[in-house]
Amino acid sequence: MLTDQMTPMERGKALAKGESVDRLPCNPNVANGVARIYGCKISEFNTSAKAIANAQIASYRRFGYDGVRVFTDLFPWAEAMGATVSFPDDNTADLAEPAVKEISEIYNLEPADPYKDGRLPVHIDAMKYLVDELGDEVGCAGGLVGPFSNAFFLFGIETFTKLIFKNPEAVHRACEVSLETCIRYAQAIIDQGLTPTISEPLSSCTVVSPKHFREFGAPYIKRLVAYINTHGKPVTMHICGKTDKIWEDIVDMGVAGFSVDNVVNLKQCKEQIGDRVKILGHVDPSAIIYAGPPAEVRRAVADCVQQAWDSPKGYVIMSGCSLPVETPSAHIDAMMNAAREIGYPVVPEKLDRMIAETPEASTQPEIITPTASGICTCPH
Amino acid sequence: MESQESLLKELSNHVVDMAEEEAVETAKRYIDGGFDAYEGIDQGLAVGMERAGQLYEEEEYYIPELLMCSDAMYAGMDILTPHLKADESKDRHKVVMGVVEGDTHDIGKNLVKIMLETAGFEVVDLGRDVPPEDFVSKAMEIGAEIIGLSTLMTTTMENMERVVQLLAEKGQSQIRVMVGGGPISSGFARKIGAHYSRNASRAVELAKSLVGEVIPC
Repeated sequence: MLTDQMTPMERGKALAKGESVDRLPCNPNVANGVARIYGCKISEFNTSAKAIANAQIASYRRFGYDGVRVFTDLFPWAEAMGATVSFPDDNTADLAEPAVKEISEIYNLEPADPYKDGRLPVHIDAMKYLVDELGDEVGCAGGLVGPFSNAFFLFGIETFTKLIFKNPEAVHRACEVSLETCIRYAQAIIDQGLTPTISEPLSSCTVVSPKHFREFGAPYIKRLVAYINTHGKPVTMHICGKTDKIWEDIVDMGVAGFSVDNVVNLKQCKEQIGDRVKILGHVDPSAIIYAGPPAEVRRAVADCVQQAWDSPKGYVIMSGCSLPVETPSAHIDAMMNAAREIGYPVVPEKLDRMIAETPEASTQPEIITPTASGICTCPH
Repeated sequence: MESQESLLKELSNHVVDMAEEEAVETAKRYIDGGFDAYEGIDQGLAVGMERAGQLYEEEEYYIPELLMCSDAMYAGMDILTPHLKADESKDRHKVVMGVVEGDTHDIGKNLVKIMLETAGFEVVDLGRDVPPEDFVSKAMEIGAEIIGLSTLMTTTMENMERVVQLLAEKGQSQIRVMVGGGPISSGFARKIGAHYSRNASRAVELAKSLVGEVIPC
């Protein structure tokens, strides 16, 4: 197995200064799969800050990737505002009942207190443990769901979707109170010494139209990004599914990095917005990294790097979305080793060779287009 | 007096325009005019939903728009359905569908159900978080030709394969399995012996081809 010559922190700092490094940053986005590496049940993350932090640490030490994050599912913020969440014994938490059943209730809804409500205090404690242990070595992030997606969970996705047409005022109200929760939580992340990352799965053009996104989503997300930026932190955002029609809006929000889903054309994304934001992505987490085999993971990494390594504001090898929990470790190793093999500076001819070495015929997956639902449920 | 043709066109337009109240109002005028209820659904409301599906394909419409269109369609159907002649509801191709066990996200499944019903299929909806055995037993019970499985979570994909296996074990492989959802690809579908549809409107074409294209209603 190839080994790294630098810590993720050294690598990141050197790249920022335009100096040479050992390899491109690579983050497979292991998510709740860290429970498998550490050897605990996913449900332990609901109550134990130590379990969250220790599992992140164990997985980082196992694979050596460039970023750890406290983020267990999409629903802690909606839960902290009154939604009911179901907690499977050993799988990712899920929304059971929305916070609001009657539209009028939206006017009574209070923003969450990150130090008191729901599982948020557990996550904040986990951040402390994480940054204490790894803060000098690797970038530590606190994940949060953005104000627009979180507003969906306050009402339930289908109900909220219809309110966009039937009661725009209630939608705005939900986004506003949701934003206040996000801002408070972002401040808590910053106070622990970590960097916020935003997931906005329901902003996807696979779900809502660019028109509705601009009217209901973008203004609130932009205010959240502005808050984080004025408090001294850059922010990376992930949106699942199709996003090409809102790339300019995303740049306009002031994000430093954009993590793209595997359904997006990575090269096109780089060409259009790579001069203004760092691009992260987008090895298919399901059809490639989960499914394997390792040789195919290697080929796919080389393919992504070939499309985006020369992005002017930087490029990070990443999965298109969080990995499925049961992704074999050997496939994650294959991703990291591909990054190490590619090395730095990137040599395009070497990528060509790596791609050519794996016959595409049987392994090239079909492009996965999310179905009508398109709502990604993994923590990103 | 309005012509049937113009009322059908109006019904279709109200669905596309997401106009629930107008769909109800026009459906009432249609019945008052003495026109055939079945044709009102088939050549009016359903045509509107098909057009909405087309707009979705073209990325003119998104999920909120489709849900609003389906609300208008169902509101119109509530008026027309009581006036259907009895024999028009039999002999439709049957589909059993649901979200596989381990997953509770059903917007995609609901959209597929709407589109299939629009196209004349009889759909039995088992809901969310459905064990593989239940799909198979219900399909055998009602003589379904298709089982439709949906999931958004990679963790539940194995349960799709389990349904195909159960059908084989019970000698019911003539029942075809359709799969769809975020993590599903046509490659995965082929691997487990199922058929893939990448979205709700394609699911109708797939279902029609699986039952031999002939929709008797």
